[in-house]
Amino acid sequence: MQTKKCERPTKKNGVDSRIAASWGVAPDGERITFRFRPQRVFYEGTTRDRHGLGLLAAEPSPEGEGGYSRASRDDPGMDRTLLGILTAFAVALLTVGLTFSRTVDAPADFRFVNETELQTLDPHVMTGHPEARIAEAVFEGLTRYDAKTHHPAPGVAASWVVAPDGKRITFHLRPNAYWTNGRRVIAADFVYSWKRLLDPALGSEYAYIIFPVRYAEALSTYDGHATALRTTIAPRALALAHDHANGMDAPSWQRFLAANDVNDALSPALGNDADLRDLLARRAGTVTGAELRRFAAAIGPAADRLRKSAAEARAHFGVDAGVFAPDDDTFVVDLKAPTPYFLDITSFNPTFPVPKELTEDPRHHDDWFLPENIISNGPYRLKRWLVNDHIRLERNELYWGKSEVHNRTVDAFPIENETTSLNLYLAGEVDWLPAQHYPSDLVDELRQRPDFYRHAGLIVYFYRFNTTRPPFNDKRVREALNLAVDRQVIVDDVLRLGQIPASTIVPPGLAGYEPPVSSIHLDVQKARSLLAEAGFPGGKGFPDSGILYNTNEAHKKIAEVVADQLNRNLGIKVNAYNQEWQSFLATCRNLDFDIARGSWVGDYPDPNTFLDMWVTNGGNNDTGFSSASYDRLIRAAADVGSFLDAPESVLADLDDAGPVREAMVRVAQASNGPDRLRALAALRMRLFREAESILVNDEFPVMPIYFYVLGGLANPNLRGFYPMLQFEDGTTAPNLQDIHPLRDIWVDRSGGAPR
Amino acid sequence: MNRRGRIVLGSLLVALVVGLALALGVREGLAVAFGLALISSTAWLGPTTARIVGAVFGAAIAFGVTRAAEGALPGVLVAVAFAFVAFKWLPVRVLRRIAFLVPSLVLLIFTTTILMYRAPGSPFAQEKAATPDVEAALRARYGVPKSAISFFEIYMRRLVVEGTLGPAIKVRGRTVEQLLAPALPVSLSLGLLALVIAAALGLLLGMRAGLKPNSFSDHASMGLATIGISLPSFVIGAAMMIVFALKLGWLPVAGWSGYRHIVMPAVTLALPYAAYIARLARSGTIEVMQQDFIRTARAKGLSERVIVLRHALPGAILPVVSFLGPAAAGIMTGSFVIETLFDVPGVGQWFVKGAINRDYSVVLGTAILYAALVTFFNLLVDLAYAWLDPRVRGQL
Repeated sequence: MQTKKCERPTKKNGVDSRIAASWGVAPDGERITFRFRPQRVFYEGTTRDRHGLGLLAAEPSPEGEGGYSRASRDDPGMDRTLLGILTAFAVALLTVGLTFSRTVDAPADFRFVNETELQTLDPHVMTGHPEARIAEAVFEGLTRYDAKTHHPAPGVAASWVVAPDGKRITFHLRPNAYWTNGRRVIAADFVYSWKRLLDPALGSEYAYIIFPVRYAEALSTYDGHATALRTTIAPRALALAHDHANGMDAPSWQRFLAANDVNDALSPALGNDADLRDLLARRAGTVTGAELRRFAAAIGPAADRLRKSAAEARAHFGVDAGVFAPDDDTFVVDLKAPTPYFLDITSFNPTFPVPKELTEDPRHHDDWFLPENIISNGPYRLKRWLVNDHIRLERNELYWGKSEVHNRTVDAFPIENETTSLNLYLAGEVDWLPAQHYPSDLVDELRQRPDFYRHAGLIVYFYRFNTTRPPFNDKRVREALNLAVDRQVIVDDVLRLGQIPASTIVPPGLAGYEPPVSSIHLDVQKARSLLAEAGFPGGKGFPDSGILYNTNEAHKKIAEVVADQLNRNLGIKVNAYNQEWQSFLATCRNLDFDIARGSWVGDYPDPNTFLDMWVTNGGNNDTGFSSASYDRLIRAAADVGSFLDAPESVLADLDDAGPVREAMVRVAQASNGPDRLRALAALRMRLFREAESILVNDEFPVMPIYFYVLGGLANPNLRGFYPMLQFEDGTTAPNLQDIHPLRDIWVDRSGGAPR
Repeated sequence: MNRRGRIVLGSLLVALVVGLALALGVREGLAVAFGLALISSTAWLGPTTARIVGAVFGAAIAFGVTRAAEGALPGVLVAVAFAFVAFKWLPVRVLRRIAFLVPSLVLLIFTTTILMYRAPGSPFAQEKAATPDVEAALRARYGVPKSAISFFEIYMRRLVVEGTLGPAIKVRGRTVEQLLAPALPVSLSLGLLALVIAAALGLLLGMRAGLKPNSFSDHASMGLATIGISLPSFVIGAAMMIVFALKLGWLPVAGWSGYRHIVMPAVTLALPYAAYIARLARSGTIEVMQQDFIRTARAKGLSERVIVLRHALPGAILPVVSFLGPAAAGIMTGSFVIETLFDVPGVGQWFVKGAINRDYSVVLGTAILYAALVTFFNLLVDLAYAWLDPRVRGQL
């Protein structure tokens, strides 16, 4: 066998001195046979041929042999190099043709741009708007959103009864609701599905949505809390009490609580232990050694209480309390307290039923919702799901209301690029471009189009202050900054779609809720004097600060305008800077910012979804803001019944408790039944109003900027599509939640009058 | 190597190890340095060892790929067949590449994992915070522990024992190979077509320019090439979309459901490459036309056509061929911009989305795919070189 060395050309003269390529010795040893390689001359490293020796070899030989001969014939035919290139091209094109062959469907009856690819089609796990659109088409809950009014309309439940005390809802299921495999949808399906939603192993981020149901929170979280208390928090608390036998300062105490997620785990087990509650909320002064020891000692019993509650919840939830199914046709929901928005939640995808036969099958644990596996119960079947390409839905012929479904087929295109989306719509290849999915620079031109629609949205855009970092830990500074920003300029010059400047957190338009009178408005004089009071007259001595936003052109414009206004109005130096989304989230969670952009989409039409996030150490608080009286008000609103039993601790916090007392009197005066429920709901809203007032009149942990207006483009022949909801009494309201059920939308292709 | 060389090399290696340890942590840094040493050592494998190692590694890859597609038994058969064929007939150079590829992939996975975990965020981070319980449940379910090293262990175990690239997290219910499998043919066909357009256009323009340097046609085609390189594809693509789809209505705006859909993305994808190839072909042609053998060919009285096509062409396209290797790997793994602009369901988006979403398994899957393609196309380039350039042929 020839060796590497044999092959290597020597440097001398560029001619290979080892001419024999291989040799063999005859068996008798008398003859050695050298086999010569074909005559070949090697170059030195360069392409220049100074010695003229490379001339022969530089000639590309047709057969790879020394052949100067063929080249000397003046052959007019194609050379092998050109032939090779053309062959390669032909082979490539053939391959393209072969791989690019696919069945092409006729266009669907209704086609729309669905923003992004779905993360999942498991209704219990999904979190986004595009997912919810498809889930509402493929599954159906107890109720569904009426397209015209968003009131709960009969879904799987044909009817329901709310008990006089507002704490029990009994759903009567229709006999003709079927899964796509032909099995009837029965009450036990909902019991199973809601238990699945609450199962911590599923990891649903929307499990909390049914926490108003009795035992739901205990079932979902108490075991996890108890484990956390026992295994990590208890030993660390003991160590803390040991290391700080003489007490510690409140900020370090709070850092300990936050680092170990103590509040999450411990607060459900506190009950009426007011001392411990106050200890957990202590932000100033010191914590004594005795208190620390008491805290450490309280953890074990608290964990035991949680375990007991969890066991109790397991024994009852789905059996005879919380939710349960007395028979196939009846599904009963017990609520902890009257929850006026609960019938909105039963139209919302986390409460949809899922097919037990699939989700419990270990082979389909993770992929049960793919088209080849799925069993569903909604107006459409999932026919095809090509990732990043399209989703094809087909009318479900087993659906009880199929006569109300006009489309035989629907295509959803996951197109993130806004220019492409708009072009598809303009070319007539899609019928609907949902909210805000066009290039925002074109808003002025698009607004002129007759097929452009817009309506207010249940979304607030705001800036968070880091209330743990000087100077933003001073509420006068936070108020000053709030008063120094002209939101009208942002709305008129940057956003240009008629957005509403925000002076509160909760967007307007929620039925029954009247936002508090807010002190937030442009008042540069007052802002300057507040800043001076806080020790920064004329902005002197105010440290350079930053407004953090996630990388996005619109956020950038707003941040720059705000920074500029603060600079001009208060004389302080604020810079806008950006981070990519994941880094941005981590920075916000770690409170490593001065001011950070945020926005919040309401999950359901109720102030609670905007207000309960600001409680002490709330998972989405991200400001470090903590107010004991705020926490008490939110707790009171969540369970008005308990509040009425012991109202004084809450009322004592209020500057003017008059309106709340009035609302309480009305509850007391109301007769049992609907009147009392209404009075309770009004009291609840009043409590929310007092809570929000703390945010916008007293503490200012955030700077509200504007409330969203959502704009989109829709084919004028679209039917069953309501940017403005239309009620029976002739009134209208904006489609705040931007819900457009695919069940009811269709395109009138008969060329009828425009919508 | 002389003494001074050894000292320089040694201190460079020490600096490398220390640098890696500082950047990645001591354990990780040492592991990476060890991996680098291992990979470099494949260059010194003797021919027989290279044959054996290459055949074994190649068989392992063949087994993994076939098992994922067809099952275990066909996997074993294909692996055995491959090992036999490879050992018997494949050139050492090819086997050496394979022997190099496998440890490189392991090191690639390791380093990528460490770097991914260095980036802030996680696949489960959302604007609405998940509670610690929920996050722990999700981490357990998708095999994404909090430490990079344990993720690497889980990933390698999945890859070697179960033969899967792991579950995608942001597109649930599918494994990474199930995501990439339908996307790869899309990117391949789009990329191949673009490559053909780029090569044809680039060679024509470039050689024409190179044959008459500083003429009008030279300046014109090089001007075009400069524009092609500097104009970003989202501008060219959007302009084409407006003209051919919206104004003229000849082609569909976007999507991927018929032959008409491939035209605009392929042309958009091809143009910058065509421009680059044109410049390479031009310089290659100018260089080769000054060679003595061309003069000789002229002296023999050959026609200009024969001189250019037969004698100049092979030399002129050499720089283009060496560019085409990495370019083909790049073009066939898709382009994020073009795929989102024309709504093409190709592989390119996953490179970007995987990273943005911190979808670790997707990031690794695309990295492995890209590495495999780069290796493959570089091998093809080597073979093409041997075919075109007699100086290289003997070394194969």
